Amino acid sequence: MSYQSIMKNISIHDRVFEALKKAHDVQPKLNAMVSFIDPTSQLEALKPKDNTLPLYGIPVVLKDLVNMKDTITTGSSKILANYVSPYDATIVKKLKEAGAIIIGKASCDTFGMGGTNKTAATGPVYNPYDLSRMSGGSSGGSAVLVASGVVPMAIGTDTGDSVRKPAAYSGIVGIKPTYGRISRYGIIPYASSLDHVGFFTNNVLDAALTLEILAGRDDLDMTSSQRPVEKYTEACVGNVSGQRFGIISNVTDAIQNKQTMRQFDDLCQKLKDQGAIITKIHLNDDLMKAMLPTYYVIANAEATANHSNLDSLRFGVQVEGKDNEAIMMASRTEGFGPLLRKRFVIGSYALFTENQEIIFRKAQKVRRLIVEDVQKALSSVDCLIAPASGNGAPLIEDSQIDLLSSEYLVAENYMAFGNFSGYPSMTVPFGFDGILPLGVNLTCRPFEEGRMLNLAQGIEDLTGLKDLICEVKP
Amino acid sequence: MEKQSKSYFIHLAHQLRFDLGDKEAQDITDEFNILIDQMDLLNKIDTQGVEPMVYPFEEPTSFMREDVVNHVLSALEALKNAPSSKNGFFVTKKVVL
Repeated sequence: MSYQSIMKNISIHDRVFEALKKAHDVQPKLNAMVSFIDPTSQLEALKPKDNTLPLYGIPVVLKDLVNMKDTITTGSSKILANYVSPYDATIVKKLKEAGAIIIGKASCDTFGMGGTNKTAATGPVYNPYDLSRMSGGSSGGSAVLVASGVVPMAIGTDTGDSVRKPAAYSGIVGIKPTYGRISRYGIIPYASSLDHVGFFTNNVLDAALTLEILAGRDDLDMTSSQRPVEKYTEACVGNVSGQRFGIISNVTDAIQNKQTMRQFDDLCQKLKDQGAIITKIHLNDDLMKAMLPTYYVIANAEATANHSNLDSLRFGVQVEGKDNEAIMMASRTEGFGPLLRKRFVIGSYALFTENQEIIFRKAQKVRRLIVEDVQKALSSVDCLIAPASGNGAPLIEDSQIDLLSSEYLVAENYMAFGNFSGYPSMTVPFGFDGILPLGVNLTCRPFEEGRMLNLAQGIEDLTGLKDLICEVKP
Repeated sequence: MEKQSKSYFIHLAHQLRFDLGDKEAQDITDEFNILIDQMDLLNKIDTQGVEPMVYPFEEPTSFMREDVVNHVLSALEALKNAPSSKNGFFVTKKVVL
């Protein structure tokens, strides 16, 4: 559902309550929502406002990491199951100022830590194209709510590929702009040097408009960029002629699925026919294979530090104990799921004084080398391009993958370089593997979102894959 | 990175103020072995003379503002989520016996 199509419904009351009803209707199948928000007061507040606001009366959903005053924000965890946000995140203020109506919080991997959405305290999120398959994560709830036509836009966050991968699995657009382009104030962190705000839409033009609304300097986020915000919608014309696409051959070489590669090759040929310059870029193989462990070390170490404040003494669900130590021990044991506990253990291991140099600092140095390699590649092309995943969404129970294979280390995890570098990166649909959507990923130089959206628009025009809705029968 | 025992990870978890079940500690031990193999991929890379990368890139973000109070979270609001509070303070178990 696009912004344009939902606006055909003149009554904003009907628009919003229809979306809310649909969210309730699909919940037993998708399990995508953590909490629903009564929109009445937001609709009242909108009444005196200008009905030409860009998102006037548009229902949207937030990932359950985003604080909105007086709403439950659990981070899809048990330990924050009762946490009521005392303030609005900056992006919530911006959405409200643009006229959007927030109707709920969407499920994610707990605190954004995962790529499957199987670790949410409320259980896995299901893919609307095949309910036995995963949404991908960590922003899986947000992705499937857009894919199933509940809302035309949902907020996510992306620390490794947590917007771009679920977007690919759900047949929608997922974008993570440059680090610092959208304020992170008021969002529960995972790993601060990698975290980005991102979002999902059904088409590229809606993504451009959403970015115009959300981007910009925020004094409350010290990593927020002071650069002016472009008119992304004007940049988004779909002209690919003369634009240089660099196919990441490490990724395409590692993909085993012939269906994916055939359609990707077709897309590249079509781009070429439109005057695009297509070349192959081979990044350093050793660095590409080191991507996942580098990510794992840095992200988990930062997460361990970020979440040390979850003591259940000042906020959070408290489990009884004879003293404060016992309360903390019982509350954290009960409140963290197994994946979280595992990640904290690994993260703290990397931070021990004796391990810092050989593990944590080593990972930070490899990060720099990865970024330098990507930067060098982007000096000769305008964007890097490759399928976002070798395959459509995996089965929920799928675990048949070699964790040391190139297919896994490279083809399924390379998008983390967008987080290491902070470069803008997005995924758009480009085909299907059977009934399952496939996404293609673009990465551009920092603050070149306008260029990236233009190229994505060009791809959308060539494939015709826009406004895809997978209806889920209640 | 060296192989570690199950009891090592249980001890580590206790330092982080949570407990691990026996099977969970075994799972972490097994997965740690995979991580050791993956870390070998990092160790193959020569990082001599490379500066650790802490943030994506240097982008000027500092700014000056008037020295006036703004953006305040009231004590009442800060205490709203506390499991227990009294007279504007968090209430915890007694720590000085």
